[in-house]
Amino acid sequence: MTSADVLQFVASGLQNGAIYALVALGFTLVFASTGIINFAQGEFYMLGGMLVAAGVAAGVPLGVSVAGAVVITSAVGCLIERAVLRPVRSAGPLALIIITIGCSMLLKSWIRHLFGPDERAVPPFSGSEPVALAGALIQPQVLWVLGITVVAAAGLTVLYRWTRLGLAMRACSISHDAARIVGIDTARVVMLSFGLSGALGALAGAVVAPITQTAYDVGARMGLKGFAAAVLGGLGDPVGAIVGGLVLGLLESGAVAVVSGTYKDAVALVVLLLVLVLRPQGIIGRHLGEKL
Amino acid sequence: MRRRLNEAIVFVAGVAMLAVPAVVTDRYVLKVLTFVGLNTIVVIGLALLFGYAGQVSLGHAAFFGIGAYTSARLVMSFGLPWVLSVVGAAVVAALAGWAVAVPGLRLRGHYLAMATLGFNEIMSVAFVEARPVTGGNDGLGGVPFPSFGSFELKTPSALFVLVWAVALLVWLAARNIVRSRPGRAMRALHCTEPGALASGVDVAAVKVRVFALSAGLAGLAGALFAHSVGFISPSSFGLDLSVLLVAAVVLGGRESLSGPIVAMAVLTLLQYLGALLPGLPRQAAEAIQDWVPDIVGATLIAVLIARARGGAPVRAKEALGRGAR
Repeated sequence: MTSADVLQFVASGLQNGAIYALVALGFTLVFASTGIINFAQGEFYMLGGMLVAAGVAAGVPLGVSVAGAVVITSAVGCLIERAVLRPVRSAGPLALIIITIGCSMLLKSWIRHLFGPDERAVPPFSGSEPVALAGALIQPQVLWVLGITVVAAAGLTVLYRWTRLGLAMRACSISHDAARIVGIDTARVVMLSFGLSGALGALAGAVVAPITQTAYDVGARMGLKGFAAAVLGGLGDPVGAIVGGLVLGLLESGAVAVVSGTYKDAVALVVLLLVLVLRPQGIIGRHLGEKL
Repeated sequence: MRRRLNEAIVFVAGVAMLAVPAVVTDRYVLKVLTFVGLNTIVVIGLALLFGYAGQVSLGHAAFFGIGAYTSARLVMSFGLPWVLSVVGAAVVAALAGWAVAVPGLRLRGHYLAMATLGFNEIMSVAFVEARPVTGGNDGLGGVPFPSFGSFELKTPSALFVLVWAVALLVWLAARNIVRSRPGRAMRALHCTEPGALASGVDVAAVKVRVFALSAGLAGLAGALFAHSVGFISPSSFGLDLSVLLVAAVVLGGRESLSGPIVAMAVLTLLQYLGALLPGLPRQAAEAIQDWVPDIVGATLIAVLIARARGGAPVRAKEALGRGAR
């Protein structure tokens, strides 16, 4: 295997990994501020891709479609929290799981009613002429994926570290009661976490759609892989989510390079099971999730 | 008293089901009702695991699939008699369930749900990719009909009676389990694990056993499915079925067998409504079929919100009060 081949596999690993990282961030943000695992997270990813595809097909400029998809999905995230999760805040984890599963069935089905069951293509953001990089050929869209992930991660860092909302989110992840005592509107923070996780999922779906194509049923598998990444990095830890996503992507493309591509989709899931069972706090996690 | 009455009704209904082929002669309708019987077997297993013991599994479609492929392969490649292959399939599925349940002991709630969902996806990938065994996406055709010696059950009515007879037996067995000591142990650990432990329930052993039993029942149903349909492909064993099964148990209610059975029957029939109501225009039937996920999803959300607001009755005292060891 030449160094160009290795670079090729690393690039595709990072590309997939960046997508897993964005989806994982969505899981982690919601988990940190609510303790809920949102089984509809994968559908946010699906919505992103499908809404962009629909927008482009309807003649809306690509940039506007992407922005629209992110905004709409973010609103869907807020709506799910406000309409169906807030009324049952005190219910047990199983009830919350089932409710988010119900949401995911509805979202998936609505998109199928609206846009049909077929696969949809999305044009690349800036041409399809591969860029030569140290002997490897990289699709420009891959650079878009990596770039947008970096921007999203940087934006989140700023939000978390230096804004009042970020401070409130961190406070909620420590203790809802204490946050409320110091005057934080925890209900609003929770809703915005869902909105933010919707936006991140949609962004991932939109930016990767030109490479993978998209369909109404791509959400479940991506949701699982994103969750695997989030658990790998330690659920509730945004840095961990990004690291977990990239590690997972590289592991996957490593498995493809060394063994074969046949079971590529199983790699992330096996990693998920192994981490859940052996090291539920994640590879870089310090504290054990108390929900275990 | 009321429970007695309910059980009598279910039993009579079950026996009456066996007589349906005497009245219904439409082959397609019989096939659909056979599917209802198969799903009944699976959902009884999941009701034991989820409804009684409180352990969620979003991977039961995978056990169903494992049973189907195992039995088909045992007959087709190893020439095993049908009865043995079905038993073998149930055992293999139960072992798979055991293999999931033992490491799964460390997980609960969200994490168990995700892990079993992950297991289902892994098996979906395996069903597609392990072509020499499963035939891949093209599926596995020519699975022989059930047979005892040279006597082959190949008419829709014979298959119907076979499946429903097994379903009735499974229901009787499950009813006995939930009424006896293991059933009380399951309910106890559902209410409070520390409480169950303190009452001398071996929580880990109960969880693993009920998981293996539940997976075994799914495998049994899968094997019957393979032989009655004759053709199996990965699309029958995907996440959608797992979710539908969990939905049936949720809608059917905690600590109930008849509830989930009825819910699953309704959910199954919804998908074939066109065939069952001959007067229904084709378009209306297709529209209903198209909207099944919406109906299920919306009902799930509405029921859970209503329940969370009303406050579910807790039967801790009842379960623990009878020495649930």
